[in-house]
Amino acid sequence: MTNTETALKDAMSSIEGALGAALVDYGSGMALGTLGGSQSLDLNVAAAGNTDVVRAKLRTMEMLNIQDSIEDILITLSGQYHLIRLLTGRGGSGLFLYLVLDARRANLAMARHQLKRIEAELEV
Amino acid sequence: MTGGIPGISAASTASATATATATATAGIPTLDRLAAEGATGALHGCVGALYLTDGAVVHAESPVVPDMGWRLTAGGRLSPEAWEEAVAEGGPGYRAGNLLVERGRLSRGELELCHLSALFDAAYFVLSPLDRSQHAPDRFLGEARHWLGPIRPVPVPVLQREVGRRRRLLERAWPCPEVDAAPVVPVSDGDRGGPGPASGRQAVLAAADGVRTPVQIARALGRSAFATLLDVRRLAAAGLVRTPRADAPALPGPPPPTAPEISLLYRIRDALEAL
Repeated sequence: MTNTETALKDAMSSIEGALGAALVDYGSGMALGTLGGSQSLDLNVAAAGNTDVVRAKLRTMEMLNIQDSIEDILITLSGQYHLIRLLTGRGGSGLFLYLVLDARRANLAMARHQLKRIEAELEV
Repeated sequence: MTGGIPGISAASTASATATATATATAGIPTLDRLAAEGATGALHGCVGALYLTDGAVVHAESPVVPDMGWRLTAGGRLSPEAWEEAVAEGGPGYRAGNLLVERGRLSRGELELCHLSALFDAAYFVLSPLDRSQHAPDRFLGEARHWLGPIRPVPVPVLQREVGRRRRLLERAWPCPEVDAAPVVPVSDGDRGGPGPASGRQAVLAAADGVRTPVQIARALGRSAFATLLDVRRLAAAGLVRTPRADAPALPGPPPPTAPEISLLYRIRDALEAL
């Protein structure tokens, strides 16, 4: 029964190497909440841009006739990991959690696991 | 939480075109002034209302947008009875939203996200009316409060930035505002080229019966009116729905606005409660 702010704080504090987190509505590309980020990492711009990533992947699956849903999307940069987790809960259709991790400090398997837990606690 | 709403990026500013309408920004000076004064009350007109508390927007409603109750019940998340119970019992104390959480009907996160999403959706249509002859609300009813109660206030500049961003997003998708208010007419299968549309748009296309307008489709699906508008523009760009000609005769628009009656009812209720 956490609120959105607590969920993002939880993501930032419990996931090793987290640099920023956002909860994004991909119907509009709007971030409903952001935490962290910096001058070099504008999470609002990232939210709008990654909405296109999610939409492109959904469209590709449609074209390939894949009847499945996306659990998460991982983008590996040389210095960062970007994790996109689509929320699947009862009222959560149309939202994703976006997490930026420092590749040197992050444990990817652990981060994915934690993100799943945070999604469950958000209960959306 | 830092300001959660996307700012105006250089790229999106550059793409704003000359078709951005002047009507859409009417009424904003009033809103700016109310924000600067830290006003509490409802800014209302025939395209809907914005509720402010201490200068921040706490609620928005537009007759063309599915409201929070509609979204929650259309998707089966809440039973209509549970929603009505919260409105009936929490409404008089201006705390229907909190009551849903206290009764365990919704988590706090769900309430916030659903409300914020509905707030931005309605605010877009209040500040950018579909009917270009309408203007943004300019009447202010001081001390009016909404029965949902404060959930997560949104600063006025953040709201205005987001409305501007959404306007540019539509413009970029397909620069023909004619599709926004006209019935959505799918182009027959034989005329289609390339692969089918993505999942969100598929639902919109499936609901397009040649009679419903985008906002009526949004209502039928219980989803965001803005996201539906964006999907319709993208479908039009992909050649999957027909774009009406700009000089075509006026087609039946969305249902007649009911906002004045709603505002009046609130005023009557507030007056009765003050007795």
